[in-house]
Amino acid sequence: MSNSYKGLVWRLLRRNISAGQIAGYALATLVGLSIVLCAVRFYGDVSSAFNTDDGILSKDYMVISKRVSALNTVGRGGETFFTPAETEELSRQPWVRSVGAFTAANFNVYMSVDLGGRSMSTYMFLESIPDKFLDVSPSDWRFDPSRPEVPIIMSKEYLALYNFGFAASRGMPQLSETVMARVPLSITVSGNGRSMKIPGRIVGFSSRLNTLAVPQDFMEWANKEFAPPGKEEQPSRLIVEVSKPGDPAIDRFMRINGYDVAGDKADNSRANYFLTLVTAIVIAIGSVISILAFFILMLSIFLLLQKNRRKLHDLMLLGYSPRQAARPYNLLVLSVNVAVLVLSIVITECAAAWWNPRLADIGVPNGSPLPALLTGLCIMAVVTVANLLTIRRLVRRNF
Amino acid sequence: MDRINTITLEEALPEVFVGAENDEPVCHSEVWMQHLELARPGRYLIMAESGTGKSSLCSFVYGSRHDYRGRILFNGRDIRELSVDDWCEVRRRHISLLPQEMRLFPELTAMENIQIKNRLTDRLSEKEIMDLLREVEIDHKAGQKAAFLSIGQQQRVAIVRALCQPFDFLILDEPVSHLDARNNAIVADMVTRVAAANDAAIVATSVGNHLRLAEPHVIHL
Repeated sequence: MSNSYKGLVWRLLRRNISAGQIAGYALATLVGLSIVLCAVRFYGDVSSAFNTDDGILSKDYMVISKRVSALNTVGRGGETFFTPAETEELSRQPWVRSVGAFTAANFNVYMSVDLGGRSMSTYMFLESIPDKFLDVSPSDWRFDPSRPEVPIIMSKEYLALYNFGFAASRGMPQLSETVMARVPLSITVSGNGRSMKIPGRIVGFSSRLNTLAVPQDFMEWANKEFAPPGKEEQPSRLIVEVSKPGDPAIDRFMRINGYDVAGDKADNSRANYFLTLVTAIVIAIGSVISILAFFILMLSIFLLLQKNRRKLHDLMLLGYSPRQAARPYNLLVLSVNVAVLVLSIVITECAAAWWNPRLADIGVPNGSPLPALLTGLCIMAVVTVANLLTIRRLVRRNF
Repeated sequence: MDRINTITLEEALPEVFVGAENDEPVCHSEVWMQHLELARPGRYLIMAESGTGKSSLCSFVYGSRHDYRGRILFNGRDIRELSVDDWCEVRRRHISLLPQEMRLFPELTAMENIQIKNRLTDRLSEKEIMDLLREVEIDHKAGQKAAFLSIGQQQRVAIVRALCQPFDFLILDEPVSHLDARNNAIVADMVTRVAAANDAAIVATSVGNHLRLAEPHVIHL
């Protein structure tokens, strides 16, 4: 077969293709798809700040306590601990994944530390929570009564408080996390007519917990040994793993029950909720544009095939299969869709290249481009398959 | 698909004649409501008046229309069972049709109109096509767009195109309606020769100007 006759079918069928309609479709799809992909990409980038525990917007856990009023101070207010019924009610909320209680020490804790020859000692408090609520997982996070040594997870805020509040004003050395972890602690626990000195060590720093946390098994052992008999306290703080961060119901529940959320977690949750909402709106707008563009192309294809109906019929009378007759249109749709996909990915990446350094400046790590890529691929795959099926149906109708 | 040896019509009747079986033209037809077998390598001339369903018969046998009663069989197999792929195969290798209205693409040249068919099976070389065009005296029009050819020239281009594929049956729907007696004879010689080379049957219809086949079976529609 002479090569010069290869493009005959295309030459025949390209008649009536409206460049304006195709360009309109390509432009509209490009705009719609770029908006969707940018939204997905931006959400991925920004939400990496929510999904890391140390991120500026870490949000999956909340530490809650009851609000302390003036009446509590003078001993006349309601109790500030959580009753089992209250804990139960909390865990029944739809936005709660799990609830853990802080177990307080019902004994005296006296802690001393030796810092380069200068010794400091103070009464202290210790708390424990179930391990699954910890944001750090030190390898030696356990307590063995036969070889007692207490591992402690300390709030990062406390270290900052010491370094920038206390040490700076008192001429004490400032400590890094690494150095702090090497400092030997001496913990004296007493109560119930007994006393015991146990070595301790800082094994990790938490940005989630504002306490000195010890392993749950140490706390159970120590409370059994040193707490006054019959004294069993209810938890006064709870840690809640939230399944829908930013759900306005959380805020409402806290307000109605008079609970406080530690730190600015509630605000962060609201920020996350807002981000999700805005992203959803942007994706919806992009999707509407894409869907309208999709219908433009469908209409365009329909008109084109109607106009070329006789030619298609004649080609198939000559022995061309519907697949061969549809091929020029399939190639047209494929190339337009691939071009639109590639261009929209380029636009998304350019936009990401613009905002990523700005996000990095405020400590938000860059997210992966993969979700946006996959979204684009999936959308265009669905659109293309729908286009090709329509072409196939319309061409076969002329057989 | 094997070569088609017979095309059989069993009580076939276009839908439009249903209810008029006892009226003209059906009641005296040798095709409609009859058992008719066309066999390879026969020469058949189907004589008809306008409006008797001559082009419909060609379309039914070619699978482009299905609005008929009764059965049409290829080698004993009902053609209603054929799939789209089967029909593509039939149209490429087993039955070649020259439609009455020729169906050339006006924006393509005479040669391109022929090649668009020929490229499906690569049946003839460009030189062989030119030889056929020369035989019907339109080789000088090979590069001319079909839109600018006279009806008679278009008819000869369409005839050459119909020969650019292997076939078992060559169906020619009024092939020489716009040709003079001399060109009629040239075309008749050419299609007879090519059909013989394919060991194929020729079925030509006519309302007046008959293709001059040698000793055809004449069937009145």
